[in-house]
Amino acid sequence: MPPKDRNNKKSKFKRFRERRCRFTRLGVEFIDWKDVNTLQRLCTGQGKILGRKRSGSDAHFQRLARQAIKRARFMGLMPYVGS
Amino acid sequence: MYPYEAMFLVDPVVHGNDPDGTESKIRGLLEKHGAQLHDFERWDERKLAYEIKGHKRGIYLLSRFLIPGGNLPEFEADCRINETILRQMLIRLDDDIPTFIEKSAAYYEKMKEDAEARRGRREDGFDGGGRDRDRDRDGPRSDEG
Repeated sequence: MPPKDRNNKKSKFKRFRERRCRFTRLGVEFIDWKDVNTLQRLCTGQGKILGRKRSGSDAHFQRLARQAIKRARFMGLMPYVGS
Repeated sequence: MYPYEAMFLVDPVVHGNDPDGTESKIRGLLEKHGAQLHDFERWDERKLAYEIKGHKRGIYLLSRFLIPGGNLPEFEADCRINETILRQMLIRLDDDIPTFIEKSAAYYEKMKEDAEARRGRREDGFDGGGRDRDRDRDGPRSDEG
């Protein structure tokens, strides 16, 4: 038997479904590699880059994010590993 | 001449002793290689994510300028010789500098709005939305069946 609040959960899920990719939704043109707060959101606590499935990014923005994170890492703004 | 953005990671000890001298030296280095400076600012002082050349903290200087592309290899070589500059990052900009600064401002504005919206949603009990294989795998699968 399914849980009682099943329908409730589904409608809640649907409400936030509109756009998966934050960057497309916001209509930004690029991802700034100096924007550490945003980039950290696209990484795990260990500093690994989240996959598209996990971060929800479109292919285009996932590529931009990867590039930005790598630049931030080189400049010591973000960790390569650990934290 | 192409528009570039450069960030320099500078030794905080040297910069701390003589901020203006250090900055004007780097500015001089840029001008020596034919750069037309648009702006040059102290971006931030931060704790580094990992040690770079034995330093745990660093000062970031940010500059945007026009420079002939052919001068870049020599300029970067000079940066590497300079002991104050721990690291540098040169990025060729797609737009001219004023347009880039405008776009950049718009970008941060949007990101700020988004962050505020997210904070609002969290208070509503927003669970992150969407599907997450790693998170959902071990959790209850109440919306399937």
